Amino acid sequence: MSIAIARPLPRLRRKRQLIPAGRIALGIAVLALWQLGTNIMGQEWLPGPADVLVRIWNITVSGQLLHDTAITFWEAAVGMALGGAAGALLPFLLRLSPRLMAALDPFISAAFGMPKLALAPLFILWFGIGIPAKIVFVASIVFFLMFYNGLAGIMSIDPKLVAMLRVAGASEWFISREIVWNTAKPFLFAGLKIALPRALSGAVVGEFIAADSGLGWYIQNARSFNDTTGVVAGAVVVTVLVIGVNAALKRVQTRSLAWRPVARDMMV
Amino acid sequence: MTTAATPILEVRGLAKRFPPRAGEAQSPQVLADLSFRVADQEFLTMVGPSGAGKSTLLNIIAQVDGASAGEIFFRGELIETTDTAALNPGWNCQIGYVTQDDNLLPWRTLIDNVTLPLKLQGRYNEETAERVQALLRATNLTGFERYYPHELSGGMRKRASLIRTLAYDPPIILMDEPFGAVDAQTRGQLQQDLLRLWDHGRKTIIFVTHDIGEAIALGDRVLVLSRSPAKVIAQHRIDIARPRNLGNLFKLDGFGDMFEAVRQQLQ
Repeated sequence: MSIAIARPLPRLRRKRQLIPAGRIALGIAVLALWQLGTNIMGQEWLPGPADVLVRIWNITVSGQLLHDTAITFWEAAVGMALGGAAGALLPFLLRLSPRLMAALDPFISAAFGMPKLALAPLFILWFGIGIPAKIVFVASIVFFLMFYNGLAGIMSIDPKLVAMLRVAGASEWFISREIVWNTAKPFLFAGLKIALPRALSGAVVGEFIAADSGLGWYIQNARSFNDTTGVVAGAVVVTVLVIGVNAALKRVQTRSLAWRPVARDMMV
Repeated sequence: MTTAATPILEVRGLAKRFPPRAGEAQSPQVLADLSFRVADQEFLTMVGPSGAGKSTLLNIIAQVDGASAGEIFFRGELIETTDTAALNPGWNCQIGYVTQDDNLLPWRTLIDNVTLPLKLQGRYNEETAERVQALLRATNLTGFERYYPHELSGGMRKRASLIRTLAYDPPIILMDEPFGAVDAQTRGQLQQDLLRLWDHGRKTIIFVTHDIGEAIALGDRVLVLSRSPAKVIAQHRIDIARPRNLGNLFKLDGFGDMFEAVRQQLQ
């Protein structure tokens, strides 16, 4: 009776403890390289880590960081909620009508291929330079990422599981809930893993074009004053934000996909 | 092909041809004029060469797939066979189906998989829960209830898949080479488990295999199927007393002759 090992062996666990140590070492190496670059190129061309840290501290104390971060985060979150939810739900509806799916396919592909950045000026024309334009911009990006991942999930349903459940007396509604949803879930998480960082960077890029607040505006504003420290500080804050969102997603995913044998490998 | 007086299931003139593929005038016939009867509480085994259409036959009886022609009667009542839109998979939970793959839901634990049909049919109560516990004990699965399928061995998954169907107690159970993909030793254990469970509460079983020894060891009667298009070419009554001990079966008088006879017919 062989069963899969539920807990890592002691040696394996010790090996896994090497991972955080390796990460810290790599982090220090990156900082050192950064500092080296600053020394060679000069402060004006590449602001050093210490200066950037001081800048982040200053805008934190002044409250500007929190304000701009909140705005960017809000744009990304609402855009993600609207565009992401619509994109994730559409495959479930299209599953009910293969003919509608076939008819819509070229249009969705065309819309996906259209560069959203090129449309950004239009969004600003229609929705103004405030938050709504960025929400639409973010939604237009993440919609397709979630849609195509959800569609791949729906396509990978195992018809044998469906037949088995039907024989056992399951209703069509139960089959949708049980098999379609559970099959699609890992695909939707894979979609979120790409879409969430894209939502944040989408909001920032939207703010580059026209805005009066947000992290993208902060970076753009710093750029126009040749304030390279401000540019790098803004970029670092966005990066930290993405790391935080990824970590949160990983936690939810671990809990939600505990049944998967590959769950551990997927968490890169 | 007459056997018992009161067949629980009768198959008459069943034929199946899949829709032709692109560029193909006509697809090959899988089943042709296939007829047989199964008595209540009979353990019927069917042996046939690989690719003879055995799985197709069970799919049609289980109403997962439609036939091109022919009729199936369940307790004298005609079951829809040819109109795929009117198929009723499992015939209102009267026909259970243990497939080649275990088909356990990977996101459900062992116990949730085994009790799912009972819950779907609104029949999960103290009595049936006790029955599930007894089945888990009989198949040595007690203690693994909270494990997910990927954490179980192949043999354990097969047993879970088997008792999932036994738990809701359908009058007829179809089995499609359920022990095909496991090693010989595990297979012997699974066959013994199945016989023990079947001796506890006799069900009508139609067990399909390409393993002649398995067909003789388990069945009351063996039907020999021809190459595709499959039809019944011979039948053998197996008079080995029950309960059977599979360990010494091969030493019994007549087993070797029976084996050889079936092997000849399968050529």
